[in-house]
Amino acid sequence: MLMEIADTLRTKLDPRKTLNSLRGDADSSNSLTGSGPGYDSGNDPRNDSEPELHKERTDNSDTIKSSRNGKAPLIKLTDVWKIYQMGEVEFAALKGIDLEIYEGEFVVVLGPSGSGKSTLMNLLGCLDVPSQGTVSLNSRDISRMEESELAQIRGQMIGFIFQSFNLIPTLNTLENVTLPLEFQEEEPSRARERAEYLLDVVGLSDKHKNLPSQLSGGQRQRVAIARSLAVDPPVLLADEPTGNLDSKTGDYILEFLDELRRKEGKTIIIVTHDLTPVQYATRVVHIKDGEIEKIEEVEGNYCKL
Amino acid sequence: MRNATYVKMALNMLLHSKLRSWLTIIGIVIGVGAVVGIISLGDSMEAQVQSSLADMDLTKITITPGYSGAQSRMPGPGGGGSGSDSSSTDSELTDDDVDALQGIDGVLYIDTQISGSEEVDYAGETATLSIAGVDPQVWQYMNTLEVESGRLLEPADNNVAVIGSSVATEIFDQEIGVNQVITVNDKSVRVVGVLEEEGGSEDRKVYMPLDSAVDLIEDAEEDVFDSIVVKVEDEDLVDPTIEEIEERLMISRQIHQEKDRDFSVSSSLSMAESVTEMTSSMTLFLGAIAAVSLLVGAVGIANTMFTSVLEKTKEIGTMKAIGAKNRDILLIFIVNSAMVGFVGGVFGVMLGGFVSTLFPYMGITLMKGAGSSSSSLSPDLMVFGLGLAILIGVVSGAVPAYRASKLKPVDALRYE
Ligand SMILES: Nc1ncnc2c1ncn2[C@@H]1O[C@H](COP(=O)(O)OP(=O)(O)O)[C@@H](O)[C@H]1O
Ligand SMILES: [Mg+2]
Repeated sequence: MLMEIADTLRTKLDPRKTLNSLRGDADSSNSLTGSGPGYDSGNDPRNDSEPELHKERTDNSDTIKSSRNGKAPLIKLTDVWKIYQMGEVEFAALKGIDLEIYEGEFVVVLGPSGSGKSTLMNLLGCLDVPSQGTVSLNSRDISRMEESELAQIRGQMIGFIFQSFNLIPTLNTLENVTLPLEFQEEEPSRARERAEYLLDVVGLSDKHKNLPSQLSGGQRQRVAIARSLAVDPPVLLADEPTGNLDSKTGDYILEFLDELRRKEGKTIIIVTHDLTPVQYATRVVHIKDGEIEKIEEVEGNYCKL
Repeated sequence: MRNATYVKMALNMLLHSKLRSWLTIIGIVIGVGAVVGIISLGDSMEAQVQSSLADMDLTKITITPGYSGAQSRMPGPGGGGSGSDSSSTDSELTDDDVDALQGIDGVLYIDTQISGSEEVDYAGETATLSIAGVDPQVWQYMNTLEVESGRLLEPADNNVAVIGSSVATEIFDQEIGVNQVITVNDKSVRVVGVLEEEGGSEDRKVYMPLDSAVDLIEDAEEDVFDSIVVKVEDEDLVDPTIEEIEERLMISRQIHQEKDRDFSVSSSLSMAESVTEMTSSMTLFLGAIAAVSLLVGAVGIANTMFTSVLEKTKEIGTMKAIGAKNRDILLIFIVNSAMVGFVGGVFGVMLGGFVSTLFPYMGITLMKGAGSSSSSLSPDLMVFGLGLAILIGVVSGAVPAYRASKLKPVDALRYE
């Protein structure tokens, strides 16, 4: 099913039309990326049967404000500050951010350069902890967690897509996509199958052996997307994903992410200074000087700007 | 992360490393090569010493004219009967000295010897050989020499010689057999015995009865000896006998002060000891140099690893973002530096093996018979060399790898 989407994207059809034509049978398959060789989510923190998580969830159940179809937010930031110490001077890159992100949202964080977008993304992606305030993921407070726990969460919950792709230059395409699975100790043959499948999805099945340097920018970002999907994480975080791409390839990437949200129910968060991604957003968070200026809720599928 | 993955990632890093990092491997190659080569040299020297000691007569004491402190403490390895041309002295050993030595407890035989280098002709060829005049009464009882053919010297012998195996078979085109006549300084001498091969300078010697030798060797005089060799019953008697000899000779030669002393007493035992000592201290010294080169190699690897961690900062950040734990990063880098060590070790062991085959040509043949021992590396030594190299890789990579593992993902990702 995801393959079909990929095919149509590749033939440069309007993805919106493709979506309509695919919508009918979308229901018959509930997880598209999961329909390929799957990632074994046995020790997945999302799994409700995990005792610790379950306990925490029931403990907090009263305090969680139900919203968005009565669901608790996937990621919740409460009065988050990030203060950088630069010698004697302190610099607040984020000043009291409150933000809730729900499953299946396409959130675009929009702001000029230096406004604290990347800092925010690092917190959303558990790459960093706030100086003040709390960040919780699935109602678990990650603000005081050990690096090893954070690594675990990142490895299973979050797929990263970077502006400069950040592929490992000495690993070929297939190895790059397999890498996150290796960190999760996935069985090698299954990891390989999964990676091959994902490269197929992004239309690079003939580039398994290529090193990143032997690919175009658009191809590299597709590899990066395949890599971000390797462990089938619920959240995809992208920091200026189209910043280094021409607008046509940029559109392809954005459409692909949009498809992932629609078909897979992935939560997509894009951080950017560029207006292009906004058209796919379900919500736009405007950020300036480390503060949220306004949040635009978008009625329907697309934001009309 | 699985072990296989660490190895895979580390190998990937190794294979893609820059020429510059390969160059620093040279430090380890040389270090390990030196250590392995020197240990192998030390081993073969020790084996040589052991084998020479095994067939060396350790109950002999040699008295030579002239004295210097150094000479008595560390006699040249050529000792045991060769003349003392090292000290510039006109003192002599004479019959009187031999008389003074009579009747010491535990002394079995006293041999008097002269030596010189003379021209020997045989079948139209001439060679300069070392001639030893020995006392035919006792000589055959005082040494461990065995004849290949013929016999040793006997008391009644006159104008005969026993020759070393090289003299018989190598020096002259035509082989010299028993009862052949050779010409020494224009005088005819009949060969009565050919010695078995000993290895070393002994094989190139011609032994003759003292009286005959006096006539042949230039500058030789009746009743004046180049050395007096005393054989005692037992190794334990060597040291007390040396003391006794020194005491008696001081008295008979009327020497009252140590500084006027004009003779030296040495034993093959003390010689053997000092050679063993010398060998081991030389091995130790060379080993210390090798250790320094290993240290330099280790610093080289550490330096390369630091650079490589710096270069890979962004990759480390990426790996952490996609789920790598600190431990994963640590192990990837440690395994990588262990591999660098391993590669260095392989080449180092090869270098060490190559160098140790060169020793015989470099004149590092302290002991006789060195040429015959092949000095190829033992499997143990190879494993040791490899293990050492890997250990050095791990140790010198540990700090950089730890640094890499502790990088904060955000900082690493920001690094350009
Ligand atoms: N590690 C850091 N140390 C000091 N200042 C930082 C650090 N990271 C970011 N900043 C500062 O915080 C502000 C926000 O940075 P960033 O989040 O990268 O902005 P954006 O991604 O919106 O361009 C900038 O002024 C930047 O200089
Ligand atoms: Mg940024």
